Amino acid sequence: MILFPEGKPTTRETFEEYRASGGYQAVEKNLDPAAILKIITDSGLRGRGGAGFPAGRKWTVAVETQQTPRYVVCNAGEDEPGSFKDRVLIEHRPHLVLEGIILASHAIGAAQAFVYLNETYHDCRERMTQAIREAEAAGYVGSLKLTIHDAPTVYVAGEDSATLEVLEGKPPMPRQKPPYPATSGLYGKPTVVNNVETLANVAPIVSHGAEWFRSFGNVNNPGTMLFCLGDEMNRPGAYELPLGTPIRRLYEELGGGLKNAARLRALLPGGPSCGFLTGDALDVGLDPDSCKAAGSTLGCGVMRFYPEGTCMVEETLKLSQFFARESCGQCPACRMETNMLTALLERIQQGKGDAGLFDQCQKVLDFNRGKGYCALINMPGPPVMSAIHLFRSDFDHHLTHGTCPSRSS
Amino acid sequence: MANSYVLVCQNADCKARGAVELLNKLTQTLQGAESVEVKPYMCFGACQAGPNIVMYPSKTWYCGVKQPDVEDIAAHAKGGATVERLTHGVDPSLKELIFQLLDAGLF
Repeated sequence: MILFPEGKPTTRETFEEYRASGGYQAVEKNLDPAAILKIITDSGLRGRGGAGFPAGRKWTVAVETQQTPRYVVCNAGEDEPGSFKDRVLIEHRPHLVLEGIILASHAIGAAQAFVYLNETYHDCRERMTQAIREAEAAGYVGSLKLTIHDAPTVYVAGEDSATLEVLEGKPPMPRQKPPYPATSGLYGKPTVVNNVETLANVAPIVSHGAEWFRSFGNVNNPGTMLFCLGDEMNRPGAYELPLGTPIRRLYEELGGGLKNAARLRALLPGGPSCGFLTGDALDVGLDPDSCKAAGSTLGCGVMRFYPEGTCMVEETLKLSQFFARESCGQCPACRMETNMLTALLERIQQGKGDAGLFDQCQKVLDFNRGKGYCALINMPGPPVMSAIHLFRSDFDHHLTHGTCPSRSS
Repeated sequence: MANSYVLVCQNADCKARGAVELLNKLTQTLQGAESVEVKPYMCFGACQAGPNIVMYPSKTWYCGVKQPDVEDIAAHAKGGATVERLTHGVDPSLKELIFQLLDAGLF
């Protein structure tokens, strides 16, 4: 595979081991910025942080914005529930990430790059600090200034414009867009904010070429992706798979299925902001297009599986409460939407009301769609409405009895 | 059991503009008023126009409420006239949505 030789994190790679396996050869090629930009654009690499924006296009926008200095931000402000791929990448292969940062900075002409790192990731900080020291001593960094900066542990702090606010010493609040960071980012200058995994793909692509990268995955979604499995599985962990691989391979072969041989009832393929799928969706491909066609999204690859007996009302309410809690509060519409939705679901959960509450959920979402500064306002809708659609009997039971279906019979 | 409610928004913006004091003063003023209950509300979504107070079931939306308005609002709650000067400045589609939510029992 591209990121981990064995398809999952195994050893904590040293500088010498990285170099022995071909590391820093991409930097040693000493390609001019335009050549790197072309390879990354031709490779079709899409951002791995959740939005899936083509990396080459983002870099090009920054290059074409005639302002300097330019900046690169490696976004490891990882605070998505269940996601730990950024952490395992930096812990196990810090030089792979760092070489990607160096190449990206060279490609867009950045004088400074930041590793924006979840403030609780102490091991990552040590690993990256040492990696920077080693790469500098070996002459791979050149004149690029590299800085590690703490990311607060709140969900919106990982949003790309919020990272810029934090780097400027302000609270983690998303900015109104446009302008996008690539044209007006840190201190108003062109800034490429890329996820850790996106940057980790850069050095292998520059070393082996765009065609090699496209030999993984499928036509529209080249490459591999890291998927995080949680404790509900027999073998939790981070697994790298070519995009387009059926969910079944991840769920059965790698994850070993649910604990206690439980039957699968539902899954969330892309974190808390995606739509639920039913347990028979295991043949859906792990790529954005296939997940979209199935009624969900791939997000940043956090896979959550729910066994039979799970009350989907309770699970949906937890997700809704998460967004109400994590809304930064600066956009009235987002504050209102996330609070209202949670209150409506609480009434359904407690059996206080009638089926009109389902329509109200949709109306609250419709009213607020697209009104906030960032994407958070669009996040609570898919899990809530898909759950009501797919698991209506759970919701009807709660409305009638005020309890979970499995607790009363 | 109350027949009518005075719902006082208690989200951040309204609180920053004095909604806690409004809630306390209305509660005090309407103490003993038959069938009227003053309640905090999570958010009406019209933060820029706050502090917001919604009378239910009469569906009267008061925005930009200040301490001196409390007596008039209390009088309305007890069956008096609507305080017309406080009823402008909120998007009608938002009003409709909130009233539907209140009709659905969300308070």
